[in-house]
Amino acid sequence: MILLDRVTKQYGKSKPALDKLSLHVEKKEFVVIVGASGAGKSTLLKLLTREEKPSSGKIIVGGVDYEELSDKDVPYLRRKIGTVFQDFKLLPKRTVFENIAFALEIVGMSNRQIKHTVPKVIDLVGLKGKADKYPSEISGGERQRVAIARAVVRQPKILIADEPTGNLDPQNAWGVIEVLEKINRHGTTVILTTHNMEIVNKLKRRVITVKDGKVISDKARAGYSRKVAGMK
Amino acid sequence: MIKQYHFYTSIRIFKAGFKNLFRNLWLTVAATAVMLVALTIISLGVIINITTSSAIDILSRELKTTIILEENVDSQERLAFEASLRNLEYVESVYYVSPSEAQTRLTSNPIIGNDVSQAIALLDGEFLAPSYEVGLNDLSRANDLAAHAESEEYSNVVARVALGKTDTGAQTDAEKAIERAASTERFVTIGSIIAAGTLSIVSVMIIFNTIRMAIYTRRDEIAIMKLIGATPNYIRGPFLVEASLYGVFAGVLANVIVYSLIFAVGSKVSDVQEFAATYGYFTDTYTIILMVLSSITLGVLIGTVSSMLAMERHLKLKRW
Repeated sequence: MILLDRVTKQYGKSKPALDKLSLHVEKKEFVVIVGASGAGKSTLLKLLTREEKPSSGKIIVGGVDYEELSDKDVPYLRRKIGTVFQDFKLLPKRTVFENIAFALEIVGMSNRQIKHTVPKVIDLVGLKGKADKYPSEISGGERQRVAIARAVVRQPKILIADEPTGNLDPQNAWGVIEVLEKINRHGTTVILTTHNMEIVNKLKRRVITVKDGKVISDKARAGYSRKVAGMK
Repeated sequence: MIKQYHFYTSIRIFKAGFKNLFRNLWLTVAATAVMLVALTIISLGVIINITTSSAIDILSRELKTTIILEENVDSQERLAFEASLRNLEYVESVYYVSPSEAQTRLTSNPIIGNDVSQAIALLDGEFLAPSYEVGLNDLSRANDLAAHAESEEYSNVVARVALGKTDTGAQTDAEKAIERAASTERFVTIGSIIAAGTLSIVSVMIIFNTIRMAIYTRRDEIAIMKLIGATPNYIRGPFLVEASLYGVFAGVLANVIVYSLIFAVGSKVSDVQEFAATYGYFTDTYTIILMVLSSITLGVLIGTVSSMLAMERHLKLKRW
């Protein structure tokens, strides 16, 4: 599903943010990427969403080779990848329903289809009854669920969650992780970055540790049953 | 399926653009007002230009250049001269006035007719020379006509050339009046081009700034749109619609102002021969529709160009 082969990303003449990093993520996997601030986690995710281009190396996501991807194809790539951010990135003047519907509006879905689809996703992320609330009227955990709902409403094959629990208290953080697990059970490949070791330990998933732009460990937690993808 | 996608997307882009108008209401008012002034001046410039050109054309056609012939001119030579006049490309009409017709015209003049009749009776015969009344399609060529008539070739035919006589014989200063009108027309044309050009540039700058501010206030939304897969056209669309709507509003309002003026001023001069035709032309339904559509098109063009410039510089959609 995702392949990074000796990917380097360097900004100017400074030390590379990613240094010949290789990684392989299988379809339907739930992968946790951990590492200290500045380790290269966010750069890695930005490369996957094509916010950044690698300085060298190969990236293939869902069969798409990023080397062959033109700028005009990027929006269509991003429609296949759901993204969740630490700061939610919700539109404050739109309701929960409208924020989620936004992702469907831009792909030209009819209002009738949107009215049919959005409530199902609101249910999936556990926000029933909150559809008409504005982001300012709900908690941080609920806002992150809205962001997840927006990311998955188009049923992407991949969901990238960049520190989604970073701004949340432990209870809300775990609620968000449970939603991500639920989405993974529906068949979506999930890539999660986090600082929170409690979540990492509790999750029992494949954990990739990044340091100085390199993968320094890649192992499954005890209890993780899915075959772990091989590393180069 | 693709058609359906475009339909919903277009509706959404238009709605978003319309909403944007009211998000920054004061900016919308300012941008529309400047464009309104520019379009009003452009429309008025066009109207004044057409009106004065038409009036000058009518006056020019009335003005005849009189070529007075020798009293005992040979008829063969006269006809050869007449043929040479008709061959000139700036000559529209040539009319021969015989001595007897000239006398008839003079005696029928209500003011001096009686005195002339008495003088003719005293002289007992024809005392007026024959002449040609020559109409020009381009008044500025009157001197060329004079030079042609006064050339050596026709020295036996032509006695002298008198410029500036009209059919009625009443407007002896007509040529000067036409020259004044023509210079006014040139002044109005140049003035309206400069004013319209300046105001169009000011409009572009103000709309550029309005769209730039709209982009700035919506930067988070634009960033989210990019991240969740909106195409560049979907992001640009609302800004283009917003700027185009300034043009539509300004175009319609400019015509309300212009036509208020036309009906207020035009109805008072519509019975003057020189203005009747243009008044009729501008108040014709077809012309009104054409004027409104032209103003709107120009307004939309100014809005589109300004917003494209602002988006090119500030939306940064080339790099994803």
